[in-house]
Amino acid sequence: MRDWLRRLRVMTTKELLQLSRDPVLLIILAWFFTADIYIAGSGISMEVKRASMTVVDLDQSEASRELISRFRAPRFQVKELLFAEKEAAARLDRGERMLLLEIPPHFERDLEAGRSTEVQLQADTTHTVLGILATGYAARIVGGYATDRALEKLGIDDLQLAAMPRVEARRRVWYNPNQKDPWFMSISELMTVITMLSFMLPAAAAVREKERGTIEQLAVSPLSPFQILFPKVIAMTLAILAGTAVALFGILLPVFEIPVKGSLPLFFSVTALYALAVSGLGLVIATLSRNLGQVSMLVIVVLMPMLLLSGAWTPPEAMPWLLRELMVISPLYWFIELGYGILLKGAGVALLWKKAAALGLLGAGLFGLGAKLFRRQFR
Amino acid sequence: MALLEVRNFGKRYRKRRAVAGVSFSLERGELFGLIGPDGAGKSSLMKAVAGVLAYEEGLVTAFGVPLDSEGNAERVKGRMGFMPQGLGLNLYPDLSVEENVDFFARLREVPVEVLRERKGRLLAMTRLEPFRDRAMKKLSGGMKQKLGLVCTLIHQPELVILDEPTTGVDPLSRRDFWAILAELLEEQGCSALVSTAYLDEASRFHRLAFLHQGQLLDEGTPEALLARAPGTVVQFRASSPATAAARLKRRFAGVESYGDRVRLFLADTAPQEARRQVAQALGGLEVSELETLEPELEDAFIRLLPAAQERPSPILPGAPGPAARAARTLIEARELVRDFGSFRAVDGVSFQVREGEIFGLLGANGAGKTTVIKMLTGLLPPTAGEGRVAGADMGASSLAIRQRIGYMSQAFSLYRDMTVRENIRLYGGIYGLHGRELAARMAWVLEMAGLEGAEGERAGRLPMGMRQRLALGCALVHRPPVLFLDEPTSGVDPLGRRRFWELLTWLSRGESVTILITTHYMSEAEHCDRVALMHAGRLVADDTPDRLRQALEKEAGRLLELRVDRPMAALRVLRPHFTGVSLHGSRLHLFAKRPKEAPSLIRSLLGRAGIALQGVRQRSPGMEDVFLYRMGALEER
Amino acid sequence: MNRARILAVAGKEWREILRDRLFFTMAFGVPLLIMLVLGYGLSLDVENIPFAVVDHDRSELSRDYIHRFSDSRYFHLLGYAENEGGLSRLLAASRIRLALVIPDRFQERLLADRPVEVQALVDGMFPYRAQTLKGYLDAIGAEWNRELLVAFLGRTRGVTPERAAELAAPVRLQTRYLFNQALKSDWSMASGLMMLVLMVSPPFLTALGVVREKESGSIYNIYASTVSRGEFILGKLIPYVGVSCFNILVLWWIATAVFHAPFKGDPFFYYLASVVYVICTAGIGLLVSILVRTQVAAVLLTMVITFIPAMLYSGLLVPVESMSAEARFQARLFPPYWYLQIAWGAFLKGLGWRSLWLPVALLAGYAALLWTLGLALFHKRPTR
Repeated sequence: MRDWLRRLRVMTTKELLQLSRDPVLLIILAWFFTADIYIAGSGISMEVKRASMTVVDLDQSEASRELISRFRAPRFQVKELLFAEKEAAARLDRGERMLLLEIPPHFERDLEAGRSTEVQLQADTTHTVLGILATGYAARIVGGYATDRALEKLGIDDLQLAAMPRVEARRRVWYNPNQKDPWFMSISELMTVITMLSFMLPAAAAVREKERGTIEQLAVSPLSPFQILFPKVIAMTLAILAGTAVALFGILLPVFEIPVKGSLPLFFSVTALYALAVSGLGLVIATLSRNLGQVSMLVIVVLMPMLLLSGAWTPPEAMPWLLRELMVISPLYWFIELGYGILLKGAGVALLWKKAAALGLLGAGLFGLGAKLFRRQFR
Repeated sequence: MALLEVRNFGKRYRKRRAVAGVSFSLERGELFGLIGPDGAGKSSLMKAVAGVLAYEEGLVTAFGVPLDSEGNAERVKGRMGFMPQGLGLNLYPDLSVEENVDFFARLREVPVEVLRERKGRLLAMTRLEPFRDRAMKKLSGGMKQKLGLVCTLIHQPELVILDEPTTGVDPLSRRDFWAILAELLEEQGCSALVSTAYLDEASRFHRLAFLHQGQLLDEGTPEALLARAPGTVVQFRASSPATAAARLKRRFAGVESYGDRVRLFLADTAPQEARRQVAQALGGLEVSELETLEPELEDAFIRLLPAAQERPSPILPGAPGPAARAARTLIEARELVRDFGSFRAVDGVSFQVREGEIFGLLGANGAGKTTVIKMLTGLLPPTAGEGRVAGADMGASSLAIRQRIGYMSQAFSLYRDMTVRENIRLYGGIYGLHGRELAARMAWVLEMAGLEGAEGERAGRLPMGMRQRLALGCALVHRPPVLFLDEPTSGVDPLGRRRFWELLTWLSRGESVTILITTHYMSEAEHCDRVALMHAGRLVADDTPDRLRQALEKEAGRLLELRVDRPMAALRVLRPHFTGVSLHGSRLHLFAKRPKEAPSLIRSLLGRAGIALQGVRQRSPGMEDVFLYRMGALEER
Repeated sequence: MNRARILAVAGKEWREILRDRLFFTMAFGVPLLIMLVLGYGLSLDVENIPFAVVDHDRSELSRDYIHRFSDSRYFHLLGYAENEGGLSRLLAASRIRLALVIPDRFQERLLADRPVEVQALVDGMFPYRAQTLKGYLDAIGAEWNRELLVAFLGRTRGVTPERAAELAAPVRLQTRYLFNQALKSDWSMASGLMMLVLMVSPPFLTALGVVREKESGSIYNIYASTVSRGEFILGKLIPYVGVSCFNILVLWWIATAVFHAPFKGDPFFYYLASVVYVICTAGIGLLVSILVRTQVAAVLLTMVITFIPAMLYSGLLVPVESMSAEARFQARLFPPYWYLQIAWGAFLKGLGWRSLWLPVALLAGYAALLWTLGLALFHKRPTR
């Protein structure tokens, strides 16, 4: 047993030495754990900002101007105010404007008369997200305006309002109260990076041994496949944990000011578990390919769906049910749940142990497969 | 004016200087050789000549055009053909033989009618005709190399530049290759610049240049180069060759032992004087069959090497002669069979290697040598039969048995980004060494490999020879009684190779290590106690080098070397009358059953064709001749 | 330019694409796969949001209120919890994304014409989802309140329900969704994915195709021959551009037939514009292949310079208009942004030359620039 451990240690030292001597890999590691995460965290936002709109005011009254004034920055940007319909729709067709608001003639007169009136909004929904969000905001603005006018017309003041049946929904947004995109995007990117690297690094290390012929030397030695492969995983996991620490304490916490709710040791343990699981998958791929070129191609083919279907970029609930079920086999799905759970939600072991166990099982299975395929590759 | 003129050529890669101050010229119709080990700068030079590499120093002029800019280089490319290094690497694996040829022809705008005729002729000459439609990736190594040659010559260039065309190719294919090249050169009247790392091929060139570490050591005709290294080779047999070698080494450099034979080169010494000096140095030790020979090009090359380029090998502790022959069997193959799909790579191979023996496995690429080693080391389970090492079945080998074998592969399985010390420590650790024991073995490896002082160097930055010895040391760090070496000497310079063999001999004699080695260098087979020839997965011969040589002389006759004035024409005249007629530069080799009468027969045959015979002498056949003869006989069958 | 030599290079390349299994898959299989997987999986719709409720009231009205949520396609009721603690655990475990807490006396207060406060806890982890979710919440809540108001007005002012409705909502917003009436993100995504696939696949093929020759050494056949640089690049890239031109058709078919995206534009215009785009992206691959020497490096570099701009700066996922000023400028520097205008314009808006000549011209400009750069940097006599 002591011998067994010693061999594991010798091999792990070797992997770390090699990693420390590879400037290209070190640059890649540094880039991904710092600049890449910073770029993703600071540059991306799925919010509606400055949605460009054309307003056609056919009424030109105080009431219409009041309504128009409610469409304002940061969500909306009224690019032009027209008093005739001519040319307005063409701007939408050409993709120059996103929204077209049209206020009908006699808008004010109808309101004064207590007749209901209708304003028209045309929205470019080629980008569905923008379309949904923008029309949603517009509806809220018009709705608010309508309520104000209605109450005013009915002569109901604030005091009387308290004597009316209504349901006030007090929305409280948890975990990210101001819905800061950098919080989500930077954590998401960190996890993507962890995935990518724990997938590629051990696979690359294994295939490089194959390319250089050193793998045969190890295979004829008294090392078992486990002793050959596992140190790679340990070494790369250590490197990834170090990188994660750099990203966390160098970018996420100080720059994006993410409040860590849960326990950091728990987060690092889960990260280690995850890196081990994904490395297993990488090793399976490494045993199946002959050179680094093949590895990188296979990695991309496997990684791309894995990333996109993990919920890191899009809400998982919206996927077709089959894919939603398939997500269960994507380790990243579990990691995202666990990672966010710990970092933002403060979830503890009690809540997460099942997911962690699932991740561990998945990793053990993959690693076992990799070790099993190892001997076959010399044939 | 010379076809090609190289003046003070120099090339750097970033800070590293690859070649410096090389000058030579090549005349029309010449076959010019660039000879040197890996890293000598051959490839840089050849690429620059072919106009595909920019350089900083000196000037290359081809066809009177200075190749100093991309534009100028373009002007002569139509008249040149270039085959880069790497077996078949410039060909397209997924295209068929014919499609490959067609692509090169279309690239070079060979007219269709001309192409049809030329393609037919070249494919017939290279015996690739039957494989026209076969995908290139399914060809054997030798066939790939011949296809590469056809593709390079398809536009009938005036100058062909071939970068290591014979590396990694078995002797039979190599012989074919030289014959075809010579024929084509004569027929098409073109010139060739060819590089090689095999010194035994040096005699095939009209003129040649020795390159070493980016420097040109010397250039000239083989005769001129030999003349510049006058001296005598003394060779004899001894009952205790190690003692003899040890005594000689005290006075002479360049002492080698092959089995029970010892060979040494005495520079600037006449045969009589050489005999006397050797006898004196041996101090009464009994030797037999002492003979004096003319030096070979390898002796000349070694003599030209800058002094103290390698530290002299330590005189290893003497040991009793060939290991006690009655010793137990340590490696045994019993009817080994290995199939890959429907292809039988190894077919019923059996042999035994006794303790302390050096056993050489020779064979062409794809003959099954590496597969045999893989089965014996437990990397590959045999389809049938059994391989036993140190008494245990390797097919189902336990980890404990693997502790008892050492293995060194072609690639010198070192971690290049780790230092010498780190490599040794790693392999020691893998085999469970630690603490004081590891330190002792580390010291042993460093001393044995002559690496003291280089402990902190990265393995990748060591010269080939040192790297090779480090790999050997790593394979031996755990004192394995059995050592497997898979083509361990490719690309190493001759001095490094000699030193490596000295180590192997010492290990087998002194430490009783049992060694199984495969090699491409036929001259190395002479060092082995026993040699087995493999062909198409079968073992076709298994005996000591001496007995194989004797059997050859009995079957084929004595080997004669002829000097003639028109070698190509002479080759054609003699081929129907003798076996094994082959061209070596301006000389011919052939086998004669009756060596006494042969010269007069040859003289009259050549005389009738108007060719003058300038000299005949008998040569002792090398292992290469044995291999070629055996394989040739099998191929014809 | 010598046609025979260009054809020789192109013909050889074409044969290799067809015969190398890995390459063949890369050329034809992978684009198809990415299109299908992402088309099905990459959906930005926020639907089926799992939510849970603590109903302290357990009255008819409170159940009615909850049904408003569970009946919509946006929400999916996972179940009821005993107390707020249970809800927060569910939220923390990511089992639900929204939690509602209905206070006791919910029905009683409403019937007594008094306002009630309901708590809605939203999981803010994914800001985009939270924003959308809040929109849904507001819409459902507003509708509920409007109905309450109508009933209230009917009761207190004695007006007819119709009149009450008119009074309660004097201004209504009529929204028309142009170009994607059903608000199906599939439609936008399918056409947008053509941008992604055609951004990634041609450079991959081109870069690997050239670097493969560099790695194996067969590039020396080209260096050492009389083929000019232009002839080689043209001959080498024609097959890859050809493969991608074929892929345009396949992808177009998937978008329209599998994902049912409507195609309203001029097919001829769209095909031509796509070919220009493919030529442009193949040029990126050419540049990559000149800069690197190994296939691994080619894969990594191509990935970084194509995938990231296509994902982040094209406008496919992240709306460009919402970005900061400099990011909006950066987005316009990458070809994907312009091609997405073309793809969405042609698919969903039915636009053609007249509106989209600028993006096409810009792509053509990019293509010319990239190819010229490639030609200038490619040397048959490199220094190493």
